[in-house]
Amino acid sequence: MFIQTEPMPDVSKLKFIPGREVYVSGTIEFANRDEATASPLAQRLFGFPGVAAIAFGYDYIIITKAVGDWQHLKPALLGTIMEHFMSNAPVMRAARRTPGGEDGKTDAFVDEIMTSLREVIDPELGYNIVDLGLIYEVVVGADGATTVAMTTTTPGCPATNYLKQGVQDRAGAVEGVKRVQVELTYEPRWEPEMMSPGAKQHLGIY
Amino acid sequence: MMPGVTLSRWTMSYFFAALSALIAGEVLMLAGFGYPAASLRAPETLVLVHVIAIGWLSLLMCGALFQFAPVLIARRLYSDTLPLPALLLLIAGLGLLLSGFLQLSGRLPDLPSLLPAAGIVLSAGFMLVLWNLGCTLWPARPLPLPARFVTTGLISLALTVALGVIFALALGQQTNSEPMLAIAGAALPLHAAVGIGGWLTLTAIGVSYRLLAMFMLAPELEGTRPKLVLALAGAALTIVVAAGLGAILNGASLSIPLFAGSILGLASLALYGADILHLYRARKRRTIELNSRMAIHALASFAAAIGLASGLAILGRLEDGIGVVVFVLVFGWLSGLGLAKLYKIVAFLTWLECYGPVLGKMAAPRVQDLVVETRARKWFRVYFLSVWSGTLTLLIGLPTAFRVTAALMLIATIGIVSELVRIRLLSDVAARSGGPAAVPRPHLLFSRPSSI
Repeated sequence: MFIQTEPMPDVSKLKFIPGREVYVSGTIEFANRDEATASPLAQRLFGFPGVAAIAFGYDYIIITKAVGDWQHLKPALLGTIMEHFMSNAPVMRAARRTPGGEDGKTDAFVDEIMTSLREVIDPELGYNIVDLGLIYEVVVGADGATTVAMTTTTPGCPATNYLKQGVQDRAGAVEGVKRVQVELTYEPRWEPEMMSPGAKQHLGIY
Repeated sequence: MMPGVTLSRWTMSYFFAALSALIAGEVLMLAGFGYPAASLRAPETLVLVHVIAIGWLSLLMCGALFQFAPVLIARRLYSDTLPLPALLLLIAGLGLLLSGFLQLSGRLPDLPSLLPAAGIVLSAGFMLVLWNLGCTLWPARPLPLPARFVTTGLISLALTVALGVIFALALGQQTNSEPMLAIAGAALPLHAAVGIGGWLTLTAIGVSYRLLAMFMLAPELEGTRPKLVLALAGAALTIVVAAGLGAILNGASLSIPLFAGSILGLASLALYGADILHLYRARKRRTIELNSRMAIHALASFAAAIGLASGLAILGRLEDGIGVVVFVLVFGWLSGLGLAKLYKIVAFLTWLECYGPVLGKMAAPRVQDLVVETRARKWFRVYFLSVWSGTLTLLIGLPTAFRVTAALMLIATIGIVSELVRIRLLSDVAARSGGPAAVPRPHLLFSRPSSI
């Protein structure tokens, strides 16, 4: 894989062209890490100090830097983008859906499931698994069948089956959820950068 | 999808037996039994050394591996039943071995010698351990790096046991084979080097790469340097064993293979030190738990042991001071790391057993809610201070003062064990909630894995 870079008129921006589709539905911009929860790639790129904003187009990524020198930042960003695509990790997570698929109801219903999932903690880190970034996706079908994609902080964690069962129980306890399927995935691998600011503060990560 | 690793049923039993042996070993040192009151090759010293090497460290390592080797490769343990007969064989074999050494010292009637039977029973126990772990690791090839360290450690265990059996047969006068008698006469340094350096240290290094990264939220090391650590250590062990045995069988001196192995081993350990420094510096979790802080003390002891050995070698006094070096390695590095990690592992396994099944059904405490670090910290401090003081008394040659430091080690160990018992009985969770624990207390000596 070869990633081209292209300077932009605004010197704080740099265009990366990975030679494959990035975001086929138009363009999307993330002004900060919190806005990038739907994109594992953008979340990883925001992990580098100095990255201020990220935009995806059909076959490109534009990164805006706040501080630093491209000479130092570019190799690390290139490496991360290459590693992400080579591992076949998704650029965007699948869209969330709810029964009936009515706009506006979608996020509220998923939020309700997420709130319920917050009662499950990772025993080692001692914080809820939603804010730790261990829940990758919640998909609710028209019949209320719910699929939760989750990960653990480390593959082979002895708590894995208990965490899965806890997620199954908490998601199933939400009114309107009929059946729950919990899928365990390690693509992408969990990183501390995936935690919410609150979780980071709790664990003393800055 | 990756299968979840389950709770190892007998790991707690191994830990209980191991801690009992550690306390027994410290009582022996306090009583002035074995080194330094006796010479390094005296039967009394052999009793002490094997109580610690097999009873404490090997049982600790085996128990930990039954739980964590599967974690390293994200697979289940091959058999959760075999560890129990293995443990019983190891305990029985150790008992026979110690009785055999006491026969050599004249403290027990010497006919018939129990050493050959000890060799058979101990090797049967270790073979069960190796079979179980080998069958767990084999299907996971190509193995991740920490598991390759463990595999090298297990091969070293097999070699250590094989040499031990030869010693037992020769000392028990059950062989007339000249090569075996030659090995029994001269291979003690190889037995010790492969046992402490290969089995115990390499396995601890492999597990530490993964556990330290996991507990401190540090990026896992996968580059060239850790691979070089393993390659150099593997080369060192190969030279020590192959060239060492070749030298013995040809009547040559062991000094060249041991020297070459030491140089390679030192290079490997220097790179490992750099890796661990990197892990601590790159950790995301700035405030680390007591087990990781105490692991620093163990690593410092490791560095001190290497420095001491190098210094003594330069002065041409290594042979005189080898007992002191082994003391720091065994009690500062291996036992210090073992106790520090036990403090975490016992809490983690107890949490899994008690609160894993109710996760999502009730408010569960954190693993850290099972421990009171401020209370345990003082015992760890006393432990390491007494080990370091004991090292000084051995260096200076003060056997009575050494017994005082052994008493302090014993007190500290009992303090740490009492903390582990409190963790296991959920005493501090109950104290924090102001009532009894919300879940049934687990058994002290074994786990009851749930059916999930």
